[in-house]
Amino acid sequence: MSAPTIAPSPALDGKVRGKKPRFQLTPYSLLVPATVVLLIIVGWPLIQLFVISFQEFGRPQVFGAPAPFVGFKNYLKVLTDPSFWNVMVRSILFCLVNVAVTMVGGTLVAILMTKLNKFFRVLMSTGLLLAWAMPALTATIVWGWIFDTSYGVVNYIFTHVFGLDYQGHSWLINPLSFFLVATIIVVWGAIPFVAFTVYAGLTQIPDEILEAAQLDGARGTQRFRLITLPYLRSIFLVVTILQVIWDLRVFTQIYALQGIGGIRDQTSTLGVYIYQTALSSGNFGMGGAIAVITVFFMMAISLYYVRQSLKEEQL
Amino acid sequence: MRKLSFAAIAAVAAITLAGCAGGGSNDAPEAEKPGNIRVWLVGTDTPQAARDLLKTQFEEQNPGSTLTIEEQSWTGLVDKLTTSLSGSDSPDIVEVGNTQAAAFTSAGAFLDLTKYYKELGGDDLLPGFVEAGSYDGKFYAAPLYSGSRLVFYKKDALAAAGLSVPTTLSEYISNAETLAADNPGKSGLWWPGQDWYNALPFIWENGGQVAVFKDGKWDAQFNSAASQKGLAQIQELMTKASNAPKDGNETNPQVGFCDGTTLQLSAPSWVKWSILAPTDADTPGCPDQESNLGVYALPGVNGGAAQVFAGGSNIGISAKSAHPQLALKALKIILGKEFQTIYGTNGLVPALKSLASTLGTDEVAKAISSAAGNARLTPASPKWAEVEASGALTDFFVQIAQGGDIDSLSKALDEKIESILNG
Repeated sequence: MSAPTIAPSPALDGKVRGKKPRFQLTPYSLLVPATVVLLIIVGWPLIQLFVISFQEFGRPQVFGAPAPFVGFKNYLKVLTDPSFWNVMVRSILFCLVNVAVTMVGGTLVAILMTKLNKFFRVLMSTGLLLAWAMPALTATIVWGWIFDTSYGVVNYIFTHVFGLDYQGHSWLINPLSFFLVATIIVVWGAIPFVAFTVYAGLTQIPDEILEAAQLDGARGTQRFRLITLPYLRSIFLVVTILQVIWDLRVFTQIYALQGIGGIRDQTSTLGVYIYQTALSSGNFGMGGAIAVITVFFMMAISLYYVRQSLKEEQL
Repeated sequence: MRKLSFAAIAAVAAITLAGCAGGGSNDAPEAEKPGNIRVWLVGTDTPQAARDLLKTQFEEQNPGSTLTIEEQSWTGLVDKLTTSLSGSDSPDIVEVGNTQAAAFTSAGAFLDLTKYYKELGGDDLLPGFVEAGSYDGKFYAAPLYSGSRLVFYKKDALAAAGLSVPTTLSEYISNAETLAADNPGKSGLWWPGQDWYNALPFIWENGGQVAVFKDGKWDAQFNSAASQKGLAQIQELMTKASNAPKDGNETNPQVGFCDGTTLQLSAPSWVKWSILAPTDADTPGCPDQESNLGVYALPGVNGGAAQVFAGGSNIGISAKSAHPQLALKALKIILGKEFQTIYGTNGLVPALKSLASTLGTDEVAKAISSAAGNARLTPASPKWAEVEASGALTDFFVQIAQGGDIDSLSKALDEKIESILNG
């Protein structure tokens, strides 16, 4: 990945050629620790995952029974299972909605932060940091209480303040409403990261340019569209791709919410589905196959991200 | 999720490599150095007095050794035991639900205790639970305790509605509905949708089954005519008599009972102590309701006690335990008279038949013994635990509670159960 930046320039190339082996050893040896760590904690499990996905691997195999190879049987079973495709479509839709809401919300918060005075900016940053620091599981349980069917504050307010009949209304039983709650939790947890990153970017846009545009008669929306957006293009790209990956593999929030209420079969996303297939149902082979498919899917997205960031580096 | 699945798979990978050497049949070595024994107890069912007794007795008998009790949660237990029992830092002694035991005894996760059967209690052990803890003629997991489900009710509410304790299942249903109709906004029978244990008696009492084994295959029976009759009764109760969340789970039933919105509920016998817990406890109860708290065993279709689900736990020693000899000593204390008596006095059926009298003679004890006399189990398949863990049953009853179509839902459930049991 870092190869382009360390490649010697053509002009120097001729001079250095004689000492090439010694010069090139240092950068590569510096890469060794990171590579070793990555190979151990990502590479090796990935290979194992790949192997398991071609085996019949259940609970007895976990405890030492031999695991026979079954070829593409697991993959065939997964790809012909309609519930897998339901989960896939559901995950992608959930991811798209969440990324869109998070990006728009985070950007709006970032812009708000540039307009606030110091006191409110510090107050807001503190609030955002606290939300960012809250573990996803804790957040989900607290949000679960807020939306609790019998004793939740949301039902209480809707019933007693707005006079609507929300007594005993279950927020999680309807899949759409389940994902509304899940979206609130996920977006709530993700906005701080987007807001801080975009805010950092916003402070780097030269004031003169914005001022000049204003003098030329550009309205706020025009300035945002024609100046801010192009300046922050790379930031938006990176953050969006990160959000896509995070939201596509979302696990904690969905898993914990399913424990509180709702119907698992209608609300599982990719991460939870892999867990249910592999660990709960004890079918590690099939779980592995789903995981491998997910890995390739995410790899395609990541590859785009890596290519884009390489391009940025070259600019 | 990528990370999580990696972690899981990494654990699995490590196990397969390490597992070759281990195996499930190695006998405990005779002499053992002192060490720390880790005991996993699940949920809050085991009283604190019993925990203290286990720790002090074990540490007295084995100078230099220590014993740590780590409390686990029932939710996700099968997943957690799968990863932890196969790992290198496996706990030494683990409790497991009786319907889940087969998943682990069949996989070789527990130490073979066949030759210690007599020392651990022998034929005095609860037979149904010995069966649940045995596999292929070998004894792996001993009974720990059994708990029956009882119906708790508010005496004043039942009296105000002019009702008395029901003697048949249909009276039980009409009672609950009358209570709900007389007290708008309250539950005549508190029944959250995820609570499938309470649904089984309705199926059995109507002559239905969960699944039957014939011609070498499991045949799920929720769609049978008899089961459908039971399911219709369940749906009637859930929709007409219960105000509990349709997709809620059965934890903390004392909350509604104490704030007055629950007039009746069906729960394990130890829930009595949750209801009567001090008001300043971590999970507060309402001790002032003691005189108003009535209890009876669920009545059957033709009177008498209904066939209820025989809940309870088994306890075994991990095949990967680093101190199997010490673990065995601790297990002997757990199955000892003193430890088991504490279960009895706390309303749980002890693992030893000879201690049945410790339950006492009060209302709860009478209800327990009549319920236990007619208790039944879930299908005896090593894969049954996977049916439970898959969430198929909770999903199904949540949909029933919502008023879903019984016929099509039960057909889909049968297919799902069969695909797991025969898969």
